[in-house]
Amino acid sequence: MAKEQPGSPASFVDQLVVPGDVVLDLSNMANQTIKLGSGLRQESDAISVTKAGKFRLSKPNKYWVESSQKRYVPCLGDSILGIVVDSKADNFLVDIKGPALAFLPVLAFEGGTRRNIPKFEAGTLLYVRVVKANPGMNAELSCTDASGKAAEFGPLKDGYMFECSTGLSRTLLSSPPCPVLEALGKKISFEVAVGLNGRVWVNAASPSTVIITANAIMKSESLSVQSDLNLYAWMEDICSSCGVVYGDTQTPAIQPSIW
Amino acid sequence: MEQRLANTWRFTVNERKFIETALLSDLRVDGRRPFDYRNLTVNFGKEDGSAEVQMGHTHVMGFVTAQLVQPYRDRPNEGSLSIFTEFSPMGDPSFEPGRPGESAVELGRVVDRGLRESRAVDTESLCVLPGRWVWAIRIDLHILDNGGNLLDAANIAALAALMTFRRPECSLGGEDGQEVIVHPPEEKEPLPLILHHLPIAVTFAFFANENSVAIDPTHHEEAVMGGRMTTTLNANGDICAIQKAGGEGVLQSVIMQCLRIASVKAGDITEKIKKAVDSFNTHTALKKIKRHPSSIPMDVDGADSKLREKQKSLVDKKATIPCPSENVVRETKSLDQ
Repeated sequence: MAKEQPGSPASFVDQLVVPGDVVLDLSNMANQTIKLGSGLRQESDAISVTKAGKFRLSKPNKYWVESSQKRYVPCLGDSILGIVVDSKADNFLVDIKGPALAFLPVLAFEGGTRRNIPKFEAGTLLYVRVVKANPGMNAELSCTDASGKAAEFGPLKDGYMFECSTGLSRTLLSSPPCPVLEALGKKISFEVAVGLNGRVWVNAASPSTVIITANAIMKSESLSVQSDLNLYAWMEDICSSCGVVYGDTQTPAIQPSIW
Repeated sequence: MEQRLANTWRFTVNERKFIETALLSDLRVDGRRPFDYRNLTVNFGKEDGSAEVQMGHTHVMGFVTAQLVQPYRDRPNEGSLSIFTEFSPMGDPSFEPGRPGESAVELGRVVDRGLRESRAVDTESLCVLPGRWVWAIRIDLHILDNGGNLLDAANIAALAALMTFRRPECSLGGEDGQEVIVHPPEEKEPLPLILHHLPIAVTFAFFANENSVAIDPTHHEEAVMGGRMTTTLNANGDICAIQKAGGEGVLQSVIMQCLRIASVKAGDITEKIKKAVDSFNTHTALKKIKRHPSSIPMDVDGADSKLREKQKSLVDKKATIPCPSENVVRETKSLDQ
């Protein structure tokens, strides 16, 4: 396949690739800027794959290799959910499910100065962005977007956080919207923050809604049939396993225990 | 140190708070009610005496082995039962390899107390030659995945493994009649252990706010809970052991209530284990029978064909009866010899 159109991205996009595959040849695409995501590395003019998965292209120019893992390998520009582990003078140490803890500089907040350093206790959940991800170094995070605005980044209050695979979190963020989230959103209202590192935060008005949403998302990991009819049947199944009638979630049918 | 920090499991303030608030309205994060037990599956290995128990994320393997040893001096005609735990770092990153941690010791002790001190296993039948040789039964419990409530899972794994374990039969022989002959399984059918009753551990978690109680806590709930109580009961409702850990104070009435629930759950779990063991036993018995036809001589002779017919009818009988009894299996065996 590579021989037919060497260097042409179209030949590999949405195909399964394995480590060592050369997917792009930069000598053929001299005046283009491309962005490399996880699982790709550059060796002079050749872009080769470092992990097995599906090769993806997000138009116009972002490439990455997608696979489903429990461990997250930090990658530049990913929005992730981190947990504060410790705070040092210059950095917060943040757990990102990666091979090492990540650093969040205390000044990497909107309008951050030495005077107004935020205080986070250990265990605070943060929605952050990866700004440095060099191999062999701890990743660096930021709570601002590229223009220095807070833009939804920062600590997440209340709600419930659970972990899933990195593949599932990517599906949840896909466009068109993930059918499970869409089906849930038609019946109930909730807030969700998905981190590419396989962490999902859910919040809603009542705990039962949060539990249903969280369980539906967790169980959608192995869901392959995504036709609407099946999806609704499946959703009702999950709701009944949580003891709630689907579509009637605002008034959960809690039965008193037997004894 | 840096590496270790990255490997430990983190718990957010959000999860802690949510679990507590959800419990106030009798909800749990996995959709259960406070007194619902997780789904229990018991699987068995190829060899006798190995069982794998799965409860939600929790995964425990039990393995039983036996060895001929000298008995303790104060109990010359009793075999022994010992329990060993193996908490591998694969099960949970917080388990350290090598030295058993606090939880490993506690788990071993509670399972041990439930099984040994309630005399669930008949140790006297393990005696071969009083004062000289007895069987020492060893239970190894491997924690493969920690999803919370390891204690109950380990206890069930130990029971299931004990129920399917077969020790080789042995007899006395030699010149003075003092020599122990261990018969290989091909020669004499190995014997099952004698279990008087099945002590089932049922764990309750107590939470600080509003005195919430939950049965069978997951590892998220274990991180939040203030105290824990493990009650070991059998299906008859006899209490074999109680272990109360953690700081949360518990009212007497709550304990009585927990015990009532636990006795119901113990009945359910006993059913499930027995069903799994029965189907395993049927399966192995059927496997043994299927081997026989191939061992029948092929030549057609008067006497031989008669024997073959008899054997065939036995095999047919086997095929129609779903649950074969042990003695039929032996009969086919003796015909073979």
